[in-house]
Amino acid sequence: MMETELTDDIDQPLRDRLKAHPRPALLWAAGLCVLLLLEGPTYLDGLLGAIGAGLALLPGAPGAEAFASASAFFSELPHLLSRELVPNRGYYDGSAWQGTFLGLEPKYAWLIRFLLVYAYVAALLGWLWYGYVLFRRHYRAANWTPTDDVIDRLRSHYWGLFGLAVVVFFITMAAFAPVVGPTTAEENIEGPYSHDMKYYNEDTETVETITIGEANLGSASRGSGDSNVGIWSYDDFGRFHPVGTLVSGKDLFTFLAFGARVSLFIGLGSMAIAGFIATTLALVTAYYKGVTDLIVVLTSDSVQAMPALLLVILATVVFRNHWIAELYSGAMLFILLFALIRWPGLWRAVRGPALQVGEQEWVDAAKSYGQRPTVIMRKHMAPYILGYLLVYASLTLGGVIISVSALSFLGLGITAPTPEWGRAINIGQQYIASQSWHISLIPGILITLVVTGFNAFSDGIRDAIDPQSEGAEGGATGAAAGGGGG
Amino acid sequence: MPETPADNWREVTQMSESIVDTVSHQTGETLLDVQDLKTYYEGGGLFGGDPVKAVDGVNFEIARGETFGLVGESGCGKTTLGRTLIQLETATSGTVSFDGTDITELSGGDLKQWRRNAQMVFQDPESSLNDRMTVGEIIREPLDVHEQGTARERREKVRTLLDEVGLMPEHYYRYPHQFSGGQRQRIGIARALALEPEFVVLDEPVSALDVSVQAQILNLLEELQEEFGLTYLFIAHDLSVVRHICDRVGVMYLGNLMEVGPTEQLFQNPENPYTRALLSAIPEPDPTAQADRITLPGSPPSPRDPPEGCPFATRCPVRIRPEDIDASDEVWDRIREFRDVIRERSRAEQSIGERLKERLGFETALADGDEIVDEEFSDVDLPPDVREHVEQAVTYLSDGDPDAARAYLKEAFGSRCDTETPQYYDVDDRRTSFCHRHATDHDAPGEELRRRGYDTHDG
Ligand code: SF4
Repeated sequence: MMETELTDDIDQPLRDRLKAHPRPALLWAAGLCVLLLLEGPTYLDGLLGAIGAGLALLPGAPGAEAFASASAFFSELPHLLSRELVPNRGYYDGSAWQGTFLGLEPKYAWLIRFLLVYAYVAALLGWLWYGYVLFRRHYRAANWTPTDDVIDRLRSHYWGLFGLAVVVFFITMAAFAPVVGPTTAEENIEGPYSHDMKYYNEDTETVETITIGEANLGSASRGSGDSNVGIWSYDDFGRFHPVGTLVSGKDLFTFLAFGARVSLFIGLGSMAIAGFIATTLALVTAYYKGVTDLIVVLTSDSVQAMPALLLVILATVVFRNHWIAELYSGAMLFILLFALIRWPGLWRAVRGPALQVGEQEWVDAAKSYGQRPTVIMRKHMAPYILGYLLVYASLTLGGVIISVSALSFLGLGITAPTPEWGRAINIGQQYIASQSWHISLIPGILITLVVTGFNAFSDGIRDAIDPQSEGAEGGATGAAAGGGGG
Repeated sequence: MPETPADNWREVTQMSESIVDTVSHQTGETLLDVQDLKTYYEGGGLFGGDPVKAVDGVNFEIARGETFGLVGESGCGKTTLGRTLIQLETATSGTVSFDGTDITELSGGDLKQWRRNAQMVFQDPESSLNDRMTVGEIIREPLDVHEQGTARERREKVRTLLDEVGLMPEHYYRYPHQFSGGQRQRIGIARALALEPEFVVLDEPVSALDVSVQAQILNLLEELQEEFGLTYLFIAHDLSVVRHICDRVGVMYLGNLMEVGPTEQLFQNPENPYTRALLSAIPEPDPTAQADRITLPGSPPSPRDPPEGCPFATRCPVRIRPEDIDASDEVWDRIREFRDVIRERSRAEQSIGERLKERLGFETALADGDEIVDEEFSDVDLPPDVREHVEQAVTYLSDGDPDAARAYLKEAFGSRCDTETPQYYDVDDRRTSFCHRHATDHDAPGEELRRRGYDTHDG
C-alpha cells in the first residue's frame, strides 16, 4: 500500500505532464512499438519457452506442453531477424546460388544478417536512450537528479563506454545466437546426422544430397595437409565459415555464439544470485550490526577459505547424475556453485559502503518516525550500495567466465555437445602451431575481450558513481583478472 | 570542534543582537520526567569488555513548552541522552515518563504510535537528508509511515510545511544537493514537524552551519516553538547559543548531570565545580580580569571505566582532600597527576595484548615506576607521609600490579569524592547540583575555589 502511495508522488505530475504535452511521448511510444513488433515473435517465443522450461522442472510439468507449443507457434511467425528472411545456406547449381538471400554468395548473405542483428540492437538501445532524454526534457518533475551527474560522467568515460560496447556485443551475440551463426547448433553441432543438405559436386557437376555429419567430416580442421577450413573461407560443400571450423568440421562461429550463451548465462545468473545474497546480508549486517555481522563474517570467511576450484570439481563429480546437473547441460549447477563461492567477495565489497550509509543520520531519522527496518534498508540504504555491487559484480563476472572455460578446458565443465569456449580451446590446443590455429586462438581472444569488456565497464561505473576514486584503484582490473582462476 | 573560545565569543556578541529573545512560555506542567536513566553500550562485540556508560544515571524534568538545554564537552553523553529520550537508543535502566507513560517500556505498535510525539532535528545537515530523494519525498515520509490523510492531503501538508520553515512550495521536486546547509537544516526541521510532535530534540542544530546562518535557524526554531507550543531539548556545546535560547540548562559530564537549573541563574552564578570550569572556558569580555581561569587538568576518564565516586573527581579543582594529610596545593597537584598516570597504566594493563606481551617477556612501552616518581615529584618537597605512600605504590607497580597501586593510592589520598556518589543538592530556587561540597560539613565549591586561588565568576 505504501509503495503505491510513494510512487503516486512521482506519478501524479507525470500524468499531468503527459496530458499537457503528449506529442513526444506518443511518437516515441509508436517508434518503440514498431521496433518491438519487428521482433515480437522472438520475444514471445523466448518468454513462453522460458516459462515452459521452468514449468517442466516442476513435478508433473503442469502446462509445460502448452507453453512449449505456444512458443513453437511464435517461433514460426515471420520476423525481421530470422534465418528465413535472410537465408545464407544454399547450394551452387553450377551457374548461380540457390536458396540464399537474393541469390547472393553465402558469405554476403550471412554478413547481411549478422549486421542486421547489430543494427537492430543499436536502434533499439538508441531509441531507449532517446526516450530517457525525452523524459528528462519534457516530463520529469525534477529538473536535476543526482543520477544525472552519474550518467553524464559515464558518458564521457571512454574506457567505460568501450566496455559497455563489448558487453552489449556479447550479450547480443548470446541472445541472438540462433540468428547470427551461419548455421544452427541443432543441425550442425547436436544432430548433424539427422539433417541433410545439398551441395554442388564439382567432379560430377551435379547437386547432391549429403547428411551434415558427413559433410562435416570433409570440412574438418586438423592442421595438416588440406584438412583445414580457416578464417573467412568456404569448405568443399559451399558452406561459409566466418572463423573456420572445429576439428570435427563443425562451424566454429556457431559454436562460439552458443558458447557465449552458456558463459553469459552462468556469469549473469551466478552474479545475480550472489549479488542478491551479498546485498541482503550487507544491508542486514549494517543495520543490525553486532552479532549478525560477526556471524556473516565467520560464514564468509569459511566459504572463502575453501579451495574454490577443488570444491567445484568435487561438486561436478558428486552431482554427476543428479537432475540439477542435467539442467542446461550443467549450467544451472555452475550458477549455483559460483553464486555460493562468489557471494563473500561481493559482500566484502559492499559491506564498507553499507556500514557507511548505515551510519548516516537519515537512517536514524527514518527510525525516529517509525519506518519499518525493511523499508529503511531498501529505500535509505540499498540505493547507495547498488553502484558498488555493479562494479564488483562486473569484475567478478569476468572471473566466473574464465573459471567456467577453465573447467571445460579440463573436461569438467559444460557437457558436450553444448558449446563452451573452454572446450574449443582444449580441442584446438594441439593444433595451435599449425594452420588450424584458429580453433584455440579465436575463443581465447574472445574470452580475453569479454573479460576486459566487463572490467572496463566496471571501471566506468566506479568512476561515475564515485569520481574521487578515479585512478586510485588502478590495480583493480589486474587483480580481478588474476582472480579469475578460482 | 575546531572553534576557539575567542571566535566563539565574537559569534555570541554578534548573535545577541540578532536573536529575538522570546519570553518563555512554560506552563509549569511536566511533560517529560526522567528518573535514574542509564544507557550503556555493550562494547567490544563478543569478547565483552566493559560497556560504555554513555548515560550513567540522570534525573531531570522538562516542563511543557520550555526549552531545556543540555551542555557538556563532546563525548559526555548528551547526544546519547537525547537519542534515548526519543527511543533511538534503548535505555539500560531507569524510566522516561512522557505525559505519564513510561516510554522505555513501549514496543511494537505502541512505540510506533508514540513516536509521532517526539522527533529530532539532527546535527549534520549533510548527513540527515537522503540525497536520492526529493525534498518533498523526504518531508512526506513520516506522513506516509503513519498513513495520515490521503496522498493529496499529504502533498498539501508538505507544501505548507515548506512554507512554514521558510522554503518555497516549488522546492518539492528539488534534491537536497541543490540546497545550502541552512536550507537543508530547514528541510530537516520541516520533516521533524511533519507529524506535529509535542517534543523535539535539537541535536546541535546549528553547530555545522555558518555563523551568519545560525541566528536565522535559531530564530526559526523559536518562532515554530511559539506557533506550535513545542517543547525542546536543545543539545549544544556552544554555551552562548544555549544561554540565548534555553529556559533551563543541564550540565553533563561523563554520563551524569552535574548541575541543573534556570539558564540565567546557572550562567551568572554557577554552583557546581564542573559548571564553573566549563563556564570559565568562555573568555571574559573584560580582558583586564586578573584572576586565574580554571583550566582543567588531564582529559575526561574513559566512560568504560568512570571513577567510582564523583565522575568529576579525577579532574576537580576543589576535590575534597583527606584531613589526615597536610600538603601544599602544588603537592596535591602532583599527587593528582601521579594518580592519573597510575590509573592509565592499570587501564592499559587490562588490554589482553599487553598482558600477553608481558607474559611472553616482551618489553611493554610502559615506563618504570621510579621514573614516573622522578618525573612527577623531583622538584617539590614531599611531606614524609606522602613520600611513604608514593613509595608503597611504586613497590606495587614494580611487582607488576598497577591495580593494587591504584587501589592503594585511592585509599591513601582519596576522600568521599573518590568513593561516594554525590547526591543532588538543592542549591537555590529550582536548581540542583551534584557535589559533596554542598553538604553542610564541607566548604561550598565557590568558597574553596577562591581559597585555592581561582577566578570564580561570582562577580
Ligand atoms: S563531589 Fe568532589 S570531586 Fe565531585 S565536584 Fe564536588 S568537590 Fe569535585
